Amino acid sequence: MLLEAIDVTKTFGALTVVNSVSVSLGKGDILGLIGPNGAGKSTFFNCLTGDLMPTSGRVILNGEDVSLMTPEQRAVRGLARSFQVPQTFETMSVLENVMIGAFLRTFDPAKARRRALDVLDLVGLVDVSSSVAGSLGTPGRKRLEIARALATDPEILLLDEAMAGLTATEVRQAIELVRKIHQTGMTLVIVEHIMEVIISLAQQVIVFHQGHQIARGTPQEVTRDPAVVTAYLGKRAAADAARGFAGDQT
Amino acid sequence: MKRSVWLLLILALVVVYPLLFTTPFLQRLGALVLLYAIAASAWNIVGGYAGQVSVGHVVFFGCGAYASMAFFTHFGWPPIAAVPVGMMASVGIAALIGVPTLRLSGHYFSMATIAVAELARLIVTNVEALGAAVGLSGPVMPRSVFDLSFTSALPYYYLFLVVLLAVLGLTYWMENSRIGFYLRAIKDNERAARSLGVQAGRYKLYAYMMSAGLTSIAGTLYATMYGFIDPDSGLGILTSVKILIMAALGGAGLLFGPLVGAAILVPLEEISNNLLGGKGAGLTFVVYGAIIMIIARFYPSGLLKLVLDRLASAKPALSEQKVRDVA
Repeated sequence: MLLEAIDVTKTFGALTVVNSVSVSLGKGDILGLIGPNGAGKSTFFNCLTGDLMPTSGRVILNGEDVSLMTPEQRAVRGLARSFQVPQTFETMSVLENVMIGAFLRTFDPAKARRRALDVLDLVGLVDVSSSVAGSLGTPGRKRLEIARALATDPEILLLDEAMAGLTATEVRQAIELVRKIHQTGMTLVIVEHIMEVIISLAQQVIVFHQGHQIARGTPQEVTRDPAVVTAYLGKRAAADAARGFAGDQT
Repeated sequence: MKRSVWLLLILALVVVYPLLFTTPFLQRLGALVLLYAIAASAWNIVGGYAGQVSVGHVVFFGCGAYASMAFFTHFGWPPIAAVPVGMMASVGIAALIGVPTLRLSGHYFSMATIAVAELARLIVTNVEALGAAVGLSGPVMPRSVFDLSFTSALPYYYLFLVVLLAVLGLTYWMENSRIGFYLRAIKDNERAARSLGVQAGRYKLYAYMMSAGLTSIAGTLYATMYGFIDPDSGLGILTSVKILIMAALGGAGLLFGPLVGAAILVPLEEISNNLLGGKGAGLTFVVYGAIIMIIARFYPSGLLKLVLDRLASAKPALSEQKVRDVA
């Protein structure tokens, strides 16, 4: 297993935000994390990346226990991420942003530059490589974050709502990009609100509700699960779903 | 290509300046500009590039100054020979301050550095071996050329120029290597930098230590030129503020920003001191306060950045529309 979470629990004071969630991902898998706002998926995500330390449970990366490691230590070990609200280096150029990622594997600025240009080509930002990152719009920033993460040459890429705030066309382009990245053999964890994204990308989905994992399976299984429908649409919709009217709601 | 022509031209002007302006006042003024440019350029490494605003840099300045005078007083060393001692002490102190305080964000780090600087001033004021409140003096008469005690400011001018070029060379190297990229990334967004494997704490500490060591050289040079150091001139908060303002006015995080700032502020201060005599000492604070407000309100990235942006916008750049289309 490339990445494993074993009984990960995160509490803030008396509030349990993530309650004993386990996942395991092999090389090349795509895992989707979905759930309503406040369900705990971002918190769980941040426990995987090291931005938060789990209260209990373990995170195993490539056979090594990284539960107590910082984000930078996990990055060195092949884990990369994007942020829900883009965190680009605003005053640096697009190229320099990506070079920061590339510098993880080399001291040589010329090599970092070449690597960065390759990645920018992949995500389609090569034409704006000399623009200041602060001049990009939301879609550009999201792409830039993915490029930056890819430049670190990761084994697993975690995307935190990479499609939030995009128009329908932009979402389709972003899905294409994620597919392209997956085809290079990348393992992915995707947190997403947009069902369309999860259904078209993920092989395995975990549904969060109030800190618990309420369902797990393929996107098709999960969307038919009554507990999921209840969590998303309420009890009446779930009852309708049970009688077979779920088709147009999911 | 064009940029290097400009740089050579400016360098040539700086080299011939004291030969064109031969009055002692103007030569001394030139030497002081270079001296403060060294200190401000050193500050720039941690304050400008890494964005960790130290307001206690006078500690390192004082380290260098006091090391030279103390080793002369107690052991008869030529003042300049204490450069390595001052540097090592400064780097050590920077590590001691930096490890606990660089975790603090923004203003808290600045406040911690002020506290340490004031503490150092109070301690030195009470240590007899360091001259206490009276201070320490250098050689009255030069014993040899190594004492670097000259009546003319000319030798100091060229000595400072060489050191400044070395500091700027080091900064330029840093700017274009991995550590320079990492420091800018940390300054822009520490959380994002860490997610990309940047060991933010470690790099900030490196920058702080490097900056401290270089600032200490400026302190030693200051003491060598003046032949005297006391708690106010060597460890006073005003010197910290002066160094910081020069870098911020010229352009923090830009290679030549601190030099531009020093070239504006040092003459301003010297001329106002000359006009007002001893009575004007308090006025310096007022002027600095006003400058801080003006920088913060109108030129947060400094004057040099303003000029560079003007020059850049004169060239045909990638249009905003194209950026939006592609992104």
